[in-house]
Amino acid sequence: MNPSLFSEPRTTAPVTGLHGRLFAASMLAFVGLFVLGLLALFIADVSYINIQAVAEVLRAPEIRAALWLSAWTSAVTVAIGLLFAVPMGYALSRYRFPGHAVVDSIVDLPIILPPLVVGLSLLVFFQTDVGRWIEATGMKFVFQCKGIVLCQVLVSASFGIRAVKLTFDGIDPRIEHVAMTLGCTRAGAFFRVALPMARRGIIVGGILIWTRAFGIFGPLMVFVGAVRFRTEVLPTTIYLEQSVGRIEVALAVAILMLVLAAVALVAVRIVGLGQR
Amino acid sequence: MIRIEQLNLAVDTFALSNISLHVKPQEYFVLLGPTGSGKTLLIECLCGLNPIDSGRICIDGVDVTPLEPRSRGIGYVPQDYALFPHKTVRNNIGFGLENRRAARTSIRREVDRLMGQLGVNHLAERFPQKLSGGEKQRVALARALVLEPRVLLLDEPVSALDEQTRDSLCRQLKQLQKSTHTTTVHVCHNFAEMLVVADRVGIVWQGRIVQVGTPQEVLQRPSSAQVARFVQAGNLLGARAAADGQWLRLACHGGVEFRAARQDVQTAAGEVVVMVRPENIQLASARPENPPPGTTVLEGSVREVVDLGSLVKLNVACGAAVELLVSLGKREYNSSRIAAGDHVSLAVAPEDVHVMQKP
Repeated sequence: MNPSLFSEPRTTAPVTGLHGRLFAASMLAFVGLFVLGLLALFIADVSYINIQAVAEVLRAPEIRAALWLSAWTSAVTVAIGLLFAVPMGYALSRYRFPGHAVVDSIVDLPIILPPLVVGLSLLVFFQTDVGRWIEATGMKFVFQCKGIVLCQVLVSASFGIRAVKLTFDGIDPRIEHVAMTLGCTRAGAFFRVALPMARRGIIVGGILIWTRAFGIFGPLMVFVGAVRFRTEVLPTTIYLEQSVGRIEVALAVAILMLVLAAVALVAVRIVGLGQR
Repeated sequence: MIRIEQLNLAVDTFALSNISLHVKPQEYFVLLGPTGSGKTLLIECLCGLNPIDSGRICIDGVDVTPLEPRSRGIGYVPQDYALFPHKTVRNNIGFGLENRRAARTSIRREVDRLMGQLGVNHLAERFPQKLSGGEKQRVALARALVLEPRVLLLDEPVSALDEQTRDSLCRQLKQLQKSTHTTTVHVCHNFAEMLVVADRVGIVWQGRIVQVGTPQEVLQRPSSAQVARFVQAGNLLGARAAADGQWLRLACHGGVEFRAARQDVQTAAGEVVVMVRPENIQLASARPENPPPGTTVLEGSVREVVDLGSLVKLNVACGAAVELLVSLGKREYNSSRIAAGDHVSLAVAPEDVHVMQKP
């Protein structure tokens, strides 16, 4: 069976002898350096804030509203992102069609583009006839909560699509072929065999979508603005607080985001991926 | 049982061309060919996994060409077995019955029966990642047999195993086929594997079936020099054929001359390829006094002796530039007392000289 990027259990490399230990130590040194760098930033943030700033963050209704908006919009974004990522990842992995390479590259564009460009492009799009027609049907996005989700999906879905495609690339198509000789239709083989096998990759894709969606700021400022109690998400709060000079409150919100993100990521890894 | 008529399929730069084949009911048929010859593609056509460009595939008299894989009545064991890694052995084997919505009790009973038959009951709750190659093969076989297919298609079912396990599992495959009476098509590139299991064999070469026959027919009478090389013919010599009474005289390049029976030979004259299998050459330290009519008798000296355990292979230089490979049983070799450097006599009966057209 072909190893899959996200579907195979991890293996560990044996560490024996002086050379083995030195090699492992040099590899792990980079891990340590990177993690220590991030921890240093975190500690600096924590040491800068005071208890009043934390209390204000926990009490302020506008920050609670922003937290709630961030939570539900990013959750909806994950659902919509995976709804696209799973069939798209499968199609790009299994089927070859004219222009496959072009389509595959277009899917990756949001990964390369600065997120701000997505916000600007959306703003311009909704000034076109098609955009105006969409808004006229009642589906309003500009300066609306729906716009937050739209921005987040466009910016983050590519990460999920890429992760899911890599997972399907690693699953031997012959496994589905066997399922088809054992009574499955093509769709049955997908749902009963390929999809359960891709579970880990889909979870990883979901994590990537969520982390990107939870943290985006630039396109939201352009497309939905920073209206308190309406389109303000946590990254917007950080911007608003630091722009009026309340750096300790902005940092307290940042730490809240960090803690929430860490809890969510660890929970998904433990529950979804079975990692410890 | 299986009838393939004029099958054609082009995939990128490779093509299966004009394949016609008949596999008899309850037969163990082997598709033998080198890597890249199109065996797997052909078996995938039988499965319905590759739609064919033209031709027809019939199973049990029914044209299955337009049918989906699930409707063809086949069991399929692909290379590397393709077990479902997220299911236990029990659930792997029961997968087909679950798709048929069989009752849980009957699924359990049938899976238990098959696991018993293939000796994998103790693995029921294990996942495929925890199985050895041989265990995986048995589980894949049980999974393919659970729906009682009319035809069992095995794509290199033992090639991933070590030689010892391979031999033992090949014998088990043959026994299983005899007990279940399932028509079986087995793809492999290993000649020894084919000899253990095959009732008949089809040689696949560059997308075509170039010869069909019993293993002995393919071994002794290959249809071409390419097939002869593939079945390890041993001695292949370019020659010029000329009629000589009831014999065909074969003057080989290098000064050696063989005789073949004319009625066995399609080629009457001209440039040909001569095949003499190493085990069909009689070796003696002295020239035979009254050889049977038509026997080719050659003189030579032993260049090299290679002891392979049960067999001994000798390279014997005959004439100016001809070296013949001779194969003897270990006991026969020991009693002959022949050693490297000895002068020997070689005798080949006319029916053991096989003549093929030059490619």
